[in-house]
Amino acid sequence: MEGFVQTVVSGLLIGFLYALIAVGLTMIFGVMDIVNFAHGEYLMLAMYLAYWSFALLGIDPLYSLPAVTLALFVLGTATYYLFIRRIINAPMLSQIFVTFGLLIFLRGLAQFLWKADYRAVPHCLLSGSLRVSGVYIGVPELVAAAGAVVCNGLIFLFLKRTRTGMALEAVAEDKEAARLMGINSDRMFALAWGIGIASVGVAGALLANFYYVFPEVGGNFGLIAFVVVALGGFGSVVGAFIAGVVVGLVEVMSGYLLAPSIKFVVVLGLYLVIVLARPQGLLGKA
Amino acid sequence: MKKGLCLFFIFAALLIVFPFFFHKPFPRHLLIMIMMYAVMSIGWNIIGGYGGQVTFGNAAFFGVGAYASAVLLTKAGLSPWAGMAAGCVSSVLLAVIVGYPCFRLKGHYFAIATIAVGEIMMGLFMVWDFVGAAVGIYLPILPQSFRNFEFHATKLPYYYIMLAMFFFALGVAFIVERSRLGYYLRAIKDDPDGARSVGINIRRYKLYAFCLSAVLTSMCGTFYAQYVLYIDPPSTFGLMISIDLCIISLIGGLGKLFGPVIGSFVFIPLVELTRVYLGSEGQGIDLMLYSLLMIAVAILRPQGLSGLFARGGR
Amino acid sequence: MRKAVACFCFFSLVFYLGVFHADAAGKEIRIGVIYPLTGPAASTGQVLLEGVKLAADIINNKYNLNMPLAKTEGLPNLGGAKIVIVSGDHQAKPDVGMAEAERLITQEKVVALIGAYHSGVTATASQAAERYGIPFVNGDSTSPTLTERGFQWFFRTTPNDQLFAENFFQFLNDVKKRKRVETDPVALFNENTLFGADTTKYVEKFAKQYGYQVAGLVSYPAKSTQLTSEIQRLKGFNARVVLQTSYVADAILSVKTFRELNFAPDAVLGNDAGHIDPEFVKSLGRDANYILSREVWALDLGAKKPMLKTVAEMFEKRTGKPMDGSSSRAFTAMIVLADAINRAGSTDPAKIRNALLETNLKADQLIMPWDGVRFDPKTHQNVLGKGIIVQVQGEKYYTVWPFDLATKDVVWPFPKWDKR
Repeated sequence: MEGFVQTVVSGLLIGFLYALIAVGLTMIFGVMDIVNFAHGEYLMLAMYLAYWSFALLGIDPLYSLPAVTLALFVLGTATYYLFIRRIINAPMLSQIFVTFGLLIFLRGLAQFLWKADYRAVPHCLLSGSLRVSGVYIGVPELVAAAGAVVCNGLIFLFLKRTRTGMALEAVAEDKEAARLMGINSDRMFALAWGIGIASVGVAGALLANFYYVFPEVGGNFGLIAFVVVALGGFGSVVGAFIAGVVVGLVEVMSGYLLAPSIKFVVVLGLYLVIVLARPQGLLGKA
Repeated sequence: MKKGLCLFFIFAALLIVFPFFFHKPFPRHLLIMIMMYAVMSIGWNIIGGYGGQVTFGNAAFFGVGAYASAVLLTKAGLSPWAGMAAGCVSSVLLAVIVGYPCFRLKGHYFAIATIAVGEIMMGLFMVWDFVGAAVGIYLPILPQSFRNFEFHATKLPYYYIMLAMFFFALGVAFIVERSRLGYYLRAIKDDPDGARSVGINIRRYKLYAFCLSAVLTSMCGTFYAQYVLYIDPPSTFGLMISIDLCIISLIGGLGKLFGPVIGSFVFIPLVELTRVYLGSEGQGIDLMLYSLLMIAVAILRPQGLSGLFARGGR
Repeated sequence: MRKAVACFCFFSLVFYLGVFHADAAGKEIRIGVIYPLTGPAASTGQVLLEGVKLAADIINNKYNLNMPLAKTEGLPNLGGAKIVIVSGDHQAKPDVGMAEAERLITQEKVVALIGAYHSGVTATASQAAERYGIPFVNGDSTSPTLTERGFQWFFRTTPNDQLFAENFFQFLNDVKKRKRVETDPVALFNENTLFGADTTKYVEKFAKQYGYQVAGLVSYPAKSTQLTSEIQRLKGFNARVVLQTSYVADAILSVKTFRELNFAPDAVLGNDAGHIDPEFVKSLGRDANYILSREVWALDLGAKKPMLKTVAEMFEKRTGKPMDGSSSRAFTAMIVLADAINRAGSTDPAKIRNALLETNLKADQLIMPWDGVRFDPKTHQNVLGKGIIVQVQGEKYYTVWPFDLATKDVVWPFPKWDKR
């Protein structure tokens, strides 16, 4: 029984992090109907940034988090202005190829700059674990999960309660109508990219506390993010949150109850089942 | 048209006499790889270029082809040619099983679903002991012969077998383009609702295209197994293989007969030569180079990428 | 313009002839070396190549060391001919390895090949060598299947995973005797690619042979995003000793998770790879202490083998990096090959092959913790090789087994996390 509870707790913790990584992806899609295939690679960049801040400047990932987030916000908007803006109205094929091209480019860049070695931040401020009635909770994972929940919440509030956020949602609903209301969709798109990639920046800085970084680290997390977004419904922030937790739980439970070697197979299988039974995901627009 | 035909014959003739001018294994190996990827990309192009259905999971067919013939050879002593046929049949089966439910999905969901299928196949083969799991399969070294599909003294037979497959693939694509299947695929891509309203069974024709794609890719899988004589899940089911096929078709021209061919003749040498000449920094650089190429083509010719672009972008 | 073209052609011809000038009994002996010089294992590949290059340097020049060909310049039986290394990069891809082997054999005219680290690539590269009848000496691929193919031209100096798996149980038995503790049952915790899969097979076989009970096995997908559920399962087996096979990323993640879940069996015994990677101790710091691992080589063996210390220092001076199990094995492969070529007195592949079959090097001629080098006549596997066990103490690796080569006593059991 204790093992079961432990597993559920781990699943929740990693699930919140998956949710955070996915929320940016779903936001970008919701606002401009573009799937950012390179999403995981931005996570990788954020992790490298946190790592190098530590290795070269001695700044703990906890403290470099704001800077990393800001840097990735800039990177997100830059990506929009440099690449994405040109393909807003292009056929889906082109959009897929551009973001996929970005995926490959960023991975190649990382390999070129930092080689393929695995790096981990040694001795972070956040380390060790708590013991709560027989269940062990790693401190970095707990903080990461908490940070993810907070960040998700902030994004949600931003979208629902602030004028800019509501403007973003308006653009997502109907670009033309929004334009007629005076909302500059170009600016909104850039903002969506900025926030979307910044949220991945938060996730990356949090991950750097307990996970290792290498050029392909974006791969696994990126794939999981797609599964989460598709499961939750493209465009739904709440959906991404719920789906993130579901995926985290499914992964960890199937690893524990079935066999760890096929836990990804189960997660991917789950994606296929859900998406075939309910194409729009849990809360997506039909 | 006549000019095109003329060019084609010159091209074909050059390919046929190539080994007589280049005796060393390396140039022959390069061309074998170029042609193999061209055949697989032609396969991809049928469903992705003509059909407009982007898939990132075609490596699954490559892997099935390779493993089917390798397993039948090592466990049942079956000739790899029979194994190739078995691989094709299995791949078609896989295509139908995957395609039938998944073609209902909209573009992005379908693309991700294909990634999921490819990764599931890789995951399963990594733990499936009957096919060697992570250890892979070492194909037995048999006396060289056509029947055994193994040649040791020289690459020449491999070259001509692949050349034959190459012409075969081009022939298939040519027929598809001019047949009803091609006509319907273009209609489906341009205007799915219109096509449906005229009574075209969208799913069926996409399945046909997908099956053709599977067959061509699977044949290459068997060839690869017999060429390298060692297979394991990463080298046959890897995601990068699937991605390479898309890149090749995109660079060369989606939905065009010679698109994948041009793409392969550009892409494969680029990858090989950056490896040989750029030394230790090479790995990252070639990735950056062709990804930028990919992005440039996608951005600068979004309308012209497929000649026709889907209305509404979906 | 025409003149320029003519000049260019002339010089190209000269260059071409010069480069591809086939060399029968000339002044150089060309050896092809295939390693992953780019791609995921690039840092290891480069270190391997450096090991081979150092060996070539020792062979080609005069050094006062008790190893074959060190005290002479070049190969004496071939008129002082020198070793020339021609390298190829296989990027961890089997088909590329095959192509590189062929290129080196047919275009670069090498007389023998060394390589390739990744067992899958060694498989295909050595296949090419077998096809062309060129000797292939493998110093660092441990998949046992490689010497079970009945190849005539393939030779392996390094012990393979089967032998390394047996080392686990020899060690456990020795500890049991010396420390008078129970070392049973064991649990296996392995990643699921080729390396982990092979190890699992052999550990299970030797467990049975040595009478150990396997309490459970967890096989996990490499590069998982988290290992909590896997380690939960592992905990549930209640084993005294955990035998683990992981690459560096998972090795680090697992130790961190052990700590978080307060999992501390009597011993955590790693299987080389991740557990001896420099990044392991760097990232974990104190948490890496008391982890045991099977290793192929260790710097502190120099205390009992002075020649090892000298060579290791030479390596560090040349490359700025400490010598390790990879570079030392690549080094040894080159020495063994050169020794055979010298005894053959010729660059004829068949003669080199026969000389390899007659190899009989002694322990004190090597910088490895082996009993020597002698190839099994049928499988061409070196039967005198063996592994060692190291333990991290004070954030440094020390040899703890075999006891006669050990520099420190093994700390057993693994101290609990809160008692450090």
